[in-house]
Amino acid sequence: MRILTAVILFALWLVLSSTFDLAHVAAGAVVAVLIAWMNPALPHMRRLSWPAAIAYQPWLLGRILKSGLHVSRLILDPKLPIAPKLISHQTSLRSDGELVALGNSITLTPGTITVEVAPGELIVHAIDEESGKDLLDGRFEAKISGVFAGQEDRR
Amino acid sequence: MSWIAIGLIVVGLYFLVVGSIGMLRLPDVFSRAHALSLTDSLGALFVLVGLAVYEGFTTNFLRIIVVLALIYLLNPVIAHATVRAAYRSGLRPGKGGDQ
Repeated sequence: MRILTAVILFALWLVLSSTFDLAHVAAGAVVAVLIAWMNPALPHMRRLSWPAAIAYQPWLLGRILKSGLHVSRLILDPKLPIAPKLISHQTSLRSDGELVALGNSITLTPGTITVEVAPGELIVHAIDEESGKDLLDGRFEAKISGVFAGQEDRR
Repeated sequence: MSWIAIGLIVVGLYFLVVGSIGMLRLPDVFSRAHALSLTDSLGALFVLVGLAVYEGFTTNFLRIIVVLALIYLLNPVIAHATVRAAYRSGLRPGKGGDQ
């Protein structure tokens, strides 16, 4: 896991500096290894299932696009037909990683914003009925529990 | 290639403009945050992907991808922190505005 962190950090260094002489590359490699060595891996990162995490992104993007078009229609409507309200959303997800993924996904989706987070419950602000309804089908939960389905002690 | 880029950037500009209009039209801090997430997630997405396509596969392309990833991780956090602060200081959503 730490080797993976070092490789990712080094790749990021190469992309951002894009100077490929010995001094820059060596400095980047040393710093990447040092940072990876000093920082323990995050516990929920070990449970991350990479294929599911990657498959989740296009699905989320499709969802963002669909509700983005819906919200832009609401904003451009001369009557401004919004019905904002707070929804208490019960969720089966408990761990920090899952809650962060769920809360971030809800906030990224236009029309819904996570207001408060507690294990098992999210307070979500929805701009109208339809945006709120999107939450209730439980598909966010199904996808996210798949993303964090890996073995607890895999390194 | 540049026509695809122009198309993507124009779509991004549509969402940026709609988000800005929403910022002015919507009544309170909560619903304005929705306009913000529209500009963040879709406006920035299409403009940056358009620029990446225009740039072709160079190091600048990879840098744009890094910027995109950071926007996707950080902007929801900012929006959430803003509305949570509003919620905790006693504001509640309503159609009449927050005055």
